[in-house]
Amino acid sequence: MKISEGEFKERENDDVLSKGLELLEYYEKGPWPSHVTEIRKTKYPIEVYASGLGKGESQWYGGSAKIRYVYVGFISRRSKDGKQTELHFRVFHPSGQFYTTEALGKLLDFADKYGLGLIETTGQTGGMIISMDADLADEAVDVLRSIGTDIGDTGDTFRDFASCVGPALCEYAMYDSLAARDYYLAYPPIYENLSNQQFPFKVKLKFSACPMDCARAAHRADFAFIGMWDGAPDVDQDLLRKKEEEGELKIHHLVEECPSGAITWDEERKKIEISAGKCQKSMNCIRRAFPAIKPGKDRKVALLAGGNIKGRFGPKMAKPVAILDDYRQAGDFIMKIIEIWEEKSPHKERIGDMLFKEGFGKVIDGVKDTLPTNLQGIPVGQTRIINSAVLNDAERRMYSEWARRITDEYGGD
Amino acid sequence: MITPASRFKKKLPVPYTDSLPDEIKGNVGKWKDRKFHDHGIIEHISESGEHVFSVKVGATPNVRFSTDTLRKFSGIADQYGIHALRFTRSGNVELLANSLENSLKIKQAVEDLGYFVGGVGNTLWSIGSCTAYLTCTTAVVDSPSLTKVLYDNFKSYFTGEDPLPAKLRINVGGCPTSCGGLVADIVLIGHYGDAPSYDPEKIKMCLPAKADSLDKAVPELVMVCPVNAIKAYKKEDNSVGIDIIREKCIGCGRCKDVCDHITFDPHKAGLSILVGGKTSNTGFGPALARVLVPWIPVRTPEYREAVAVVSKLIDIWKSNGKPGERMSDYVHRIGLSELQKMLDIPVTRWNKPTSPPSGFGVRQFLTE
Repeated sequence: MKISEGEFKERENDDVLSKGLELLEYYEKGPWPSHVTEIRKTKYPIEVYASGLGKGESQWYGGSAKIRYVYVGFISRRSKDGKQTELHFRVFHPSGQFYTTEALGKLLDFADKYGLGLIETTGQTGGMIISMDADLADEAVDVLRSIGTDIGDTGDTFRDFASCVGPALCEYAMYDSLAARDYYLAYPPIYENLSNQQFPFKVKLKFSACPMDCARAAHRADFAFIGMWDGAPDVDQDLLRKKEEEGELKIHHLVEECPSGAITWDEERKKIEISAGKCQKSMNCIRRAFPAIKPGKDRKVALLAGGNIKGRFGPKMAKPVAILDDYRQAGDFIMKIIEIWEEKSPHKERIGDMLFKEGFGKVIDGVKDTLPTNLQGIPVGQTRIINSAVLNDAERRMYSEWARRITDEYGGD
Repeated sequence: MITPASRFKKKLPVPYTDSLPDEIKGNVGKWKDRKFHDHGIIEHISESGEHVFSVKVGATPNVRFSTDTLRKFSGIADQYGIHALRFTRSGNVELLANSLENSLKIKQAVEDLGYFVGGVGNTLWSIGSCTAYLTCTTAVVDSPSLTKVLYDNFKSYFTGEDPLPAKLRINVGGCPTSCGGLVADIVLIGHYGDAPSYDPEKIKMCLPAKADSLDKAVPELVMVCPVNAIKAYKKEDNSVGIDIIREKCIGCGRCKDVCDHITFDPHKAGLSILVGGKTSNTGFGPALARVLVPWIPVRTPEYREAVAVVSKLIDIWKSNGKPGERMSDYVHRIGLSELQKMLDIPVTRWNKPTSPPSGFGVRQFLTE
């Protein structure tokens, strides 16, 4: 019997869906808590996810939604079969992402009443992502504001800013990375732009209170603020010896493991010495011996620029701009760089792409008057990272064969 | 009434101190030491003599939770904790308590829900995953399901039952954009493994209607290509046509990012595996991960090839890494080329080892 093209497509879709539903069941097994099990408890259209898994391809296209006079903070999708839509809000976390159970309860009630009951606790940009009921989205914006937060964090403008946990819970914090995030979100030239989309692409600021950089500022931010100090770490020699006597650490390990080779042991005086000039602020000895070894008292904030994962010329690490006495000193610099970026870059080029194209040193030198301290540092050159590949059939067979050998070694199939 | 003025300004959750529980509010900036307990509990010790404990709970893939489950966590925080919790930068949940005894009760209650406490000290801290098929339009491989399988296999590294030389972070990205970032010890990235194609009719939606406009502006689809592999030209009927130059294409998918009608052959899709990335300034300092393996097959549901390669990498590091040495630092120490030899991987232009630059982050300021 001949079937129409429409029917054929329908049957093919049914096959894809039933294969996808089987896969969903598979991903509910196993010891680790399953995202599928969680999603099943919500109103999220899980059959679109199932079809994607069945087909080996995402079943979402970009969609559109209108919320009156709100242009930033929500993302809309439609399924390729045209049957489903999906809308989610990107909601600002408080800096540090702390919630009392009372405050969290209000957000959960909101997600149930106006949304699908599904939350991604922290999106890659930084916000909390709440899946919404598209029909209620307009009203929901005002409700969210009455709770004390808002949507934002999408589009070609300032995104959500991220900070590490900072002084709220961490003894290594060298400046208040949480207050810094609050300061720049509310900094008038930035705040004015939170609701607009007018830049070539997104802009991110990230704040880490020590060089261990838990906010991933040196890679994931156009403007990175990293806490550091001037000189050598402070050492409490008595406490350090006590820690060794109590078996907590071995001093010779600290000496050998220092990535900067900055620590020496003075056998005669039974104390360590750390060279201020050599110390690369790696935090190695500090995190092993704290509080016997602490960051020096002259606290600074390192400002770097141009990092990104998504940009025209690929992933980049940020380059050094200046060492600031206070995190509040970079506002003019940021806005001036953005001005140059708007002039020089087409759509979808990040600030790091512009700095690469125009020459980092040249651009930064041209705006040095916006900063109270001298430019400092020597940028490390980077080679481009291509994390994809265009293989021919022979290469594909070769890597399949290699993967097969490793797979056989680990249990085979 | 809804007016532009009433809607336009954003309501920000500042200052952050308003969101803190009292036990932390009084101790901001006063923490003087910490202790690790049981691979998942951190005791924060304040100068004031107060102690706050954070109990880290591993999240589901892509950190997706139903409100139902988050309410249960919230209930546990009310019953045994200090009525507060926080979400980490990776989206894990940290329940806050005021004693070790209560922290252990929290741990038990969390485990009764089917979740695990861990990810502190020399453990697997997290496997970061983007959203992929759950909501993304450019995803090639479904990272949440791959993340689920990896977590199922490596759960004992998270809980600390199976010790590691140092902290380990894994990121999974569904497409070359790799929203999870490249600062993880191991990064798996879904990609097409091939140059794109397109439906000649549908692609018109992503191009200017008339070729006359080519004199004035480069179409976005052409402009976004980082290697100039897409050329636009004028057709006889004054419409716009494109050519995709396979020899130049790197398969990055940025064209698909701006045009839903760019298509790829899903049968050729695979995963690249990168190593050597991390964010911390310890060891060799912060660095981006680099391509170790350019392509392995993606076979659902078990993703056996991916699991096998990651297992092998962890085993090599466990046998050869020094105590306390992150995998990324180990890779920098021995070199990518040496690791490729140990794995006997064919090397092509896509995974040719380059000497990885180091000295990023704040080290760039130190010029002695």
